[in-house]
Amino acid sequence: MERQWFFRRIIRGILILVLATPVVSADERPLALRIDELIEVRFDGQQPAPTADDAEFLRRICLDFAGRIPTADETRRFLDNSAADKRTQLIDQLLAAPTYAQRMQELFHVMLMERRGDNDKWTHYLRTAFDQNKHWDQIVRELLYPDAEDESRRGAGFFYTKRIEANGQNAVDYPGLTRDVGRLFLGADLQCAQCHNHLFIDDYKQQDFQGLYSVYLNLSVKSGLDFPAVTEKAMEKKLEFVSVFDPTPHQTGPRIPFAKELNVPEQVKDGPPVSVLALLAKDFPIPDNILFSKNIANRLWFMMMGRGLVHPLDLHHSGNPPSHPELLELLASEFAAHQYDIKWMLRELAITRTYQRSSRHPAAMADDNGEPAAVSFDQIPPHSYLLFNEKRLLAEQLLYSTLQATGNLDRLLQPAAEGKPNPELVDLTAKYIAAFANEPREPEDQINPAVKGALFTLNDEMSLHLLSRQQGNLIDRLMTMTDDQLLAEELYLSVFTRKPTDEERTELVAWLAPQVDRERAIGMWAWSMLTSVEFVINH
Amino acid sequence: MQTLGTPILASAVWAQSSGSLGLRSFLQPCVADELAKNDKQVLLIWLDGGMSQLESWDPKPNTEFGGPFRAIPTSVPGINVCELLQHTAKQMHHLALLRSVCTQDNSHSAGVARINRGDPKNRGVDYPFLGSAVAKLLGPTSSGMPPYLWIKPYSGGFKASDAGFLGAKYGALALGDGKPPDNLLLNKTISPEENELRNELRQKFNNRYAVGRRKEWTEANSYVYELAKKLMDRRDLFNESSVTDKDRERYGTHELGRHLLLARRTLETGVRFVKVNSYHWDSHGDNFNASDSLIRQFDQPFAALIEDLHERRMLDNVLVIVMSEFGRTPKINSHVGRDHWPEAWSIAMAGAGIQRGVVVGKTNDQGTFVDGQPHDIGDLFHTWFKALGVPQDMMEYDNNGQPLPVANEECSPIPELLA
Repeated sequence: MERQWFFRRIIRGILILVLATPVVSADERPLALRIDELIEVRFDGQQPAPTADDAEFLRRICLDFAGRIPTADETRRFLDNSAADKRTQLIDQLLAAPTYAQRMQELFHVMLMERRGDNDKWTHYLRTAFDQNKHWDQIVRELLYPDAEDESRRGAGFFYTKRIEANGQNAVDYPGLTRDVGRLFLGADLQCAQCHNHLFIDDYKQQDFQGLYSVYLNLSVKSGLDFPAVTEKAMEKKLEFVSVFDPTPHQTGPRIPFAKELNVPEQVKDGPPVSVLALLAKDFPIPDNILFSKNIANRLWFMMMGRGLVHPLDLHHSGNPPSHPELLELLASEFAAHQYDIKWMLRELAITRTYQRSSRHPAAMADDNGEPAAVSFDQIPPHSYLLFNEKRLLAEQLLYSTLQATGNLDRLLQPAAEGKPNPELVDLTAKYIAAFANEPREPEDQINPAVKGALFTLNDEMSLHLLSRQQGNLIDRLMTMTDDQLLAEELYLSVFTRKPTDEERTELVAWLAPQVDRERAIGMWAWSMLTSVEFVINH
Repeated sequence: MQTLGTPILASAVWAQSSGSLGLRSFLQPCVADELAKNDKQVLLIWLDGGMSQLESWDPKPNTEFGGPFRAIPTSVPGINVCELLQHTAKQMHHLALLRSVCTQDNSHSAGVARINRGDPKNRGVDYPFLGSAVAKLLGPTSSGMPPYLWIKPYSGGFKASDAGFLGAKYGALALGDGKPPDNLLLNKTISPEENELRNELRQKFNNRYAVGRRKEWTEANSYVYELAKKLMDRRDLFNESSVTDKDRERYGTHELGRHLLLARRTLETGVRFVKVNSYHWDSHGDNFNASDSLIRQFDQPFAALIEDLHERRMLDNVLVIVMSEFGRTPKINSHVGRDHWPEAWSIAMAGAGIQRGVVVGKTNDQGTFVDGQPHDIGDLFHTWFKALGVPQDMMEYDNNGQPLPVANEECSPIPELLA
């Protein structure tokens, strides 16, 4: 049984390798349509979830493009808007708003640094890049070759410096840096190919690891500067390596994994120093490097759809084929054809039916008489996209959404003296990251239920304080309302980005009626909403 | 601070509350009922870097590679251990030693994971470490305490990586430096009744959200709040003043001593699996002075722990395992150290389902290789799962339709170790 399964995977992998040779497509139809077709053709007659309603869509897209939920007023306006194209309008507004760059900066920071730490110059670099809609190939070129002379891209050096900084008496982690470049920019985790050809991923060879590794062995942190920078020693000879299984010596020059060795010119006497990093950066982020395109297409898809076409995200190889190979081909080639314009790609993904499907499947509900559901979730796995895959929130998304919901965001976004950020916001950010982010070096790509997060929401003073009455915040607004029906609506719009159902309205009104201390009672109800699943994930 | 009055409870809201998802949903329901009777627990003591078998469980005094220490008799006639285990020697009648361990990896980077995972056959997935495997196979005990606690030096937090393909919820809750998690005390502005109420409300909202949706997120949310409650209820665990002077003296005040004492206390609260890590065992240089220090640091609290588990009648229920990623070379290097040696080393165990007072397997006279049948870590995983009463029909994981044996199918239990 298990063996058959394994062989099926292998055969499927071979087929895909054969079929996946790039074909120039003459199809001129919008990408979004073609995406939906490729997803829906695999539904096999199964009924997908219906389109998300306006409130569900609004919350989802705001979290994805603005990094926070909308206010109650924004929600009302969107629900009341009768324009037929209001979703597309909203998508365009969000992509044009300043919150887009902040959200992307946070998203890519977490993806690229995996909570190793932060740096002001780095934040500034990413923020500016997304403000200007710098394309992905350009960003990667700058990360791979952070030119210290060029002030506008200096912060990019942090990607390297943080990974090769001294850590006690440990050796500098060049293998770790090599591995991360493979994982993050090619979707290939070469770690197990450091000491021998990968044992069960035939595509990963030792020379792929060693070739890239040879570039980084010459890298060190440049100290004494107020920005992150690296220096590069001249590469004197090829790197020699042997497999732990076979003592035959091999050698390799610098190499982009799965490609030829880089052609390093002879150092001309008194000429400018040859930079292997520059050569690497030039030949790496280009359409000919198919994995480069596939990796980022898959990562943007994951960010929007909650599941990688290749999953896990850093295991692209023939034994782990994509769920929709032709779709990944299409996304990768179209993205390259649009010069790796991230904003364009995200817009295309956002307007698909696939993105705008509900996360709730009617056929998966037990009916009122207690009859079991017609469809079990085993029949509609995440890679079927028959319903929207719920997504984890970054600590930052959860923080800003909590502040938005509790009506504290505007106050905390006011800078303190000398333009410094509000200290309460700084503290809260650190606390949210400690409570909800993963450990350093762990990608944040799956559910990670953490007891520390629960303990934080239960007991942390600052977090609870957001639910005490302060001028203009949610509790303050609700305390001035005398009609509990309206209060229920304001509360549900503020926290859940939707109107309460009749049942919810009735139960809240009934609950509030006998309360002596309304402020506490409202605060408690709001706390329970804010800590429940409906609030803490993107659905 | 005024608390909310009773009307809250009288409200019609509660009539509709359905049963809570939670710990039970961690398991398939039918299996959960069966396992509710199984309150077996595990303590894994992980000596990171590799303990020398020659200075501990398998001494070879007066031989070429034997080193300077003597072998001493134990409470079991005929079984000798290294003199550095002077306290443990008195507990030998509770222990089982496997001296014929032969594993596959001599590097730390790969070896640690390989041993912790039981060296399953490679199927392109990350297998769970033993603690996550047990958390998955047996779930929390009836105590409701977190199924997998990890007591370690340095940082704490939630360590998802041990869980591998099982998914983060089977990861370890790590108590860094043995300290409690942050925010363990109920905020002083909240009364216990209010706390109860707000969590009931949250659960009610969760149940409503879950209708027609995948259950993973609701289960995860309910689960972590239930664990948080359990930990808050058992915060006495972290109250140092509740430790008696006698215990402090018996276990020692050094790190491993404190951590093993905390391990005993967490086992007493019903935690299913406790892992205790000790670092810096990688004695490539000055092995004999290092062993003189490290093994004594282990010996004293370990002996006290075994004695305590026995006296508390817990030893029938708790499986105790002492291991590393490999042993150390018989050959003594030019830095008077011993290097990595997976070829022939020892693992000690005791407790639930395990034979008492036995040595299984042996090495040759110089301790260089196993003499007779060697045993890989996969054999031990089979042995331990059997000792813990994992039912035969649960010996396979279902990873999204991919069937995966819980232990290497080419290995098998070691009958001589099983009681």
